[in-house]
Formats: sequence, C-alpha cells, structure tokens
Amino acid sequence: MPLPADTDATTPKYLRDKYAIVGVGETTYTRGSGRTTRAMGTVAIRNAMQDAGLKPSEVDGMLSYSGNDSTPSTFLAGDLGIRLNFFMDVNGGGSSTEALIGIAIGIMEAGMCRCVAIFRSMNGYSQVRIGGTGARSAAPINGDALHGRVYGWQSAGQMFAPTFMRHMYEYGTKPEQVAMVKVVHSEHASNNPKAFYKKRYTVDDVLNSRMICKPLHLLDCCVETDNATCIIVTSADRARNLRHTPALIRGVVGRCSKPRADMHYQCGPISRVAGYYAKDILWPNAGVGPEDIDAVGAYDAFTFTSMLQLEDYGFCKKGEGGEYVSSGITRLGGKRPQNTSGGHLCEGYTHGMNMVIENVRQLRHDVDDYCPIGPDGKRQHTFDYREGGCRQVRNIEVTANLGWANPLTGSAMVMRRG
Amino acid sequence: MSDWSKVTRPIPVPNQWTQPFWDAARRSVLELQRCQSCGHFQHPPYATCVQCVSTDLKFEPVGGKGTIYAYTIMYHTGDKRFAPAVPYASIIVELDDAPGALLAGNLLGSPYTDAKVGRRVEVIFEKLNDDITLPQFRLAR
Ligand SMILES: [Zn+2]
Repeated sequence: MPLPADTDATTPKYLRDKYAIVGVGETTYTRGSGRTTRAMGTVAIRNAMQDAGLKPSEVDGMLSYSGNDSTPSTFLAGDLGIRLNFFMDVNGGGSSTEALIGIAIGIMEAGMCRCVAIFRSMNGYSQVRIGGTGARSAAPINGDALHGRVYGWQSAGQMFAPTFMRHMYEYGTKPEQVAMVKVVHSEHASNNPKAFYKKRYTVDDVLNSRMICKPLHLLDCCVETDNATCIIVTSADRARNLRHTPALIRGVVGRCSKPRADMHYQCGPISRVAGYYAKDILWPNAGVGPEDIDAVGAYDAFTFTSMLQLEDYGFCKKGEGGEYVSSGITRLGGKRPQNTSGGHLCEGYTHGMNMVIENVRQLRHDVDDYCPIGPDGKRQHTFDYREGGCRQVRNIEVTANLGWANPLTGSAMVMRRG
Repeated sequence: MSDWSKVTRPIPVPNQWTQPFWDAARRSVLELQRCQSCGHFQHPPYATCVQCVSTDLKFEPVGGKGTIYAYTIMYHTGDKRFAPAVPYASIIVELDDAPGALLAGNLLGSPYTDAKVGRRVEVIFEKLNDDITLPQFRLAR
C-alpha cells in the first residue's frame, strides 16, 4: 500500500519517536476482585514503575479514564508516594488509551511534567458492567434519546449490532468468518499465562454459543473482568536510562469521530467506523502504512469491532474484513498477528489498555508466555505457537493499536521498537 | 411472535426540542423536524440544522412508510423490563419521505424473524400512557 501524503492534522513529524512507553503493569484478571479500584490501581501503577525501573519520585504526571467507576489520580498518587505536577481524570471508556497517550505527549511537550502514568482501574465484572444491567438500565431516558432504550436497546453489543448486521447485508460477511476473530485470539490467549480464558475455541464453539443479539453470540463478546492496568510514558531521552527497550511512539490519534457523533448512522453508512477518518491522521503522522505493521491490537469488545476497524484503517479493502480475519494473516506465525495476548475477548476487558501493554512487551521481544527462561534470566522464545507455547512475534519492529469506543469514535497509535 | 404484553417500557421524558414530536405522536401523526432553509429532515430534533446550521426549524408531518435499514434481534436484555419479549426485533427504518432521518422502533405484529434489511414497513402508534405514545412499525400492508 502506498504511503499517504503527510498531513499536519495532529502530531508534527518532529514528535515521532520523541516519547516512549517505558513501563507497563497490571493486576490479575479476575471476576470478583474483592478489591477497590483504588487498591487495584495502586498495584498496577506500582507494577509499571517497577517494570520501568522508576522510583515514585520520578513519576510526576498522572492520567486516568473511567465512567465514574474508578478512583481519582490524586488518591492513587498519594498512596504511592508520588507528588504530581499534572493530573487529569477524564470520562470515557474504550478509545481512551491512545488518546491519553497523546495527551501525555502534549503535556510533557508543554513542559508541564516529565513522566506520566496512565491508568485504568475497573471492577468491570463485579461492579459496573458495560453489558448494561443494573444502574445503566435504571437511569431515566433523556429527551434526545429517542432511538435507544425505549425500543429495548441498552448494552454496547445491542447498540453496535445494527452496524454489524448492515455490514453483513452490504458485503455478505458471514458469522463463521467473523468467528475466526475469537478463534485466533483464543489461540493467542492459550499462550498467555495472564489470560482469564486460556481455552482455545473453534468456529463451531462460537456459532453454537447462545445468541445475545443478532449477529452476536456469547463468544463474539468480550470477557468482562475486574482489573487495573498502567502505562508509563516519558521522553525517549529519559527512556534510554530505564530497564527495557523503549516502545517509541510514532504517531497517535485520539477520539477521532464520525460526523454527528451521537447518531452516527444518520450520517454516512452505518457500517463505516471512525477508523475511516482516523487513518488519515494515523498513517501520515506515523510515517508508515498498514503494510509496514508487524502486529496489531484491534479493539475486540466484539469480534466484529476488530474486523470493522481493520477494514477502515486499510489493512484490507472495505467489505473484505471477513475474508481477512479468516485468512490466517492475523494468527501468530501469520503475516500480521493481532491481539497476541488474547485481547478483550480472552485475556480480559480493560477498555483498551491491555492491547497497548501487549504490543509494548512484543516490541521488547519479551512477552510473558510459556517459553523457558534461560540462564541469563531472559525468556528463550521458541516461536512454537502451539497451545501452551510461545506468543512472541518474531523480529517485530512496528505495531499498531486501533482503539474503539463505539462505531463512531476511535483512537489509534503506532509504536516502534526503540 | 414476541410477547410484548408483559413489557413495561421505560417512559421517555420530552424536552423543549422533542416535545412537538411527542405531541404529534399522541395524535397518531409522525412529525419530524425539518430545516426551513435547506429542507433537511433530522431526528432526533436539535437546536440547529445539522446540515446548514440554520435555526429555522419546524416540525412537518411525514408519511410513515419506509424500509428497514438495519436491525438486530435481542435474545438477552440488559434492561430486564424487556426480558418477557425476547427474542424481539429492534429495527432502524429509513422513511420514504424523510431520507437521512432514520427512525428506530420494534417490529410489531409479526414474528421477529420477519425483520430483514430491505423489508417494507409502516409506522403504527403504541400508547404508553396519557402523555407518551410511541411510534412503532409493522410490515407494510
Ligand atoms: Zn438546513
């Protein structure tokens, strides 16, 4: 694919590779953490600082996102002995990860702080389920919300389903093709000791699981979990003195949206997602194109979301996503493996964080799989991708993350090995 | 056929923009907001025309015939008030008279399996209480 022309839409080219992700950390993926988001968030940030080799006094910025289901930065910073020069807790779910990484670059570039910890802490199974039961159903229906809940639309899956159905109608996309997203991500999860679901699934498993809302079977939906995750961003200069090979940030897109974001299907085809617009910022800013990407984290709240984004970011032609995700390209050992940790469908649901964390570890050439640890303390990757084996992508240099809030809003990022 | 008899729908709360839509629905008339400058129909109603940013907006009656643009069949409900009706069809309809102002609804009066993209439907009205009547759809006769 030819590289698109440069745009000045967001990141100037001089910011390419100037900032890096230097530390990542998470808590165990559980259903029923029995812990507060404050406790989990603190542990995730602590793990990420240890991973980076950073002391609390060296972290001076904090960003987080939530749907009022987390704990503010100031509480966690205090618990960790971090004095903040900048913090901001924003509202939002999926697509926030890459957006906040962009904001971290901006506040450091503005000289407001030097090292930013981004966290998401959520009891996404035991407290606030995006699946839509409980408090989300009880809220009154606002005046403008004429399209949704009164007709029985409630959860994320229900809201997105017409987009998926229309895609099937327009392009002949088949459920058995899209089921391959789950199959492939589950294969990857089987080589991830952290994954909540490590079982390998087949296309039949997906198609025979109970229907949630057409065309989504249970196994087309991600696994809601309780967990906290953290990503630490600082300058590439500072990254050189830290523990790991940095994951350099090539370019970011944050919460790029379709027109008329509240009723996206009123404007433009419903089967089109925000990546259609975001790609024109992502690729020019990063100075690469889809063909240059070695591994992808394609937000998999549902099998379909992953596929739709791959199309609109240009990994395949519009309408050919079903063929692409069932071609073997996306598998470990394939041309462009995706969601190598198992993603939201299998590893756990983090609103996008774990797919960035995974790509950072991939770019270090040091993912935590079942490969043996050598005498030097480093994992000796076998590149044998059978169940219970390796999940390191061989010679990986450049990754993409495609974040999704819903069909109309997305964020994205390209990283390269430092 | 989905059994809606035991479903207590949440009641929408009108605001200054949506009140004319609900007033018309109570009279079993479908009225949508239309820009008087560029002729664009839009739904839900807003303070401005999303096409030309005019504030000269009026509600005009539109015919209730249209085509299913997209749909889903709900087998599982987030909102448990809808549980007695599963499986049921929630549809998005493109109206013949107001393209670009798609309308949501349930497909009533026929099996949920009749919901297909491209099917012809027409609006009907479901009274929820004295204030709120809900535009809904059935297969076109
Ligand atoms: Zn207008």
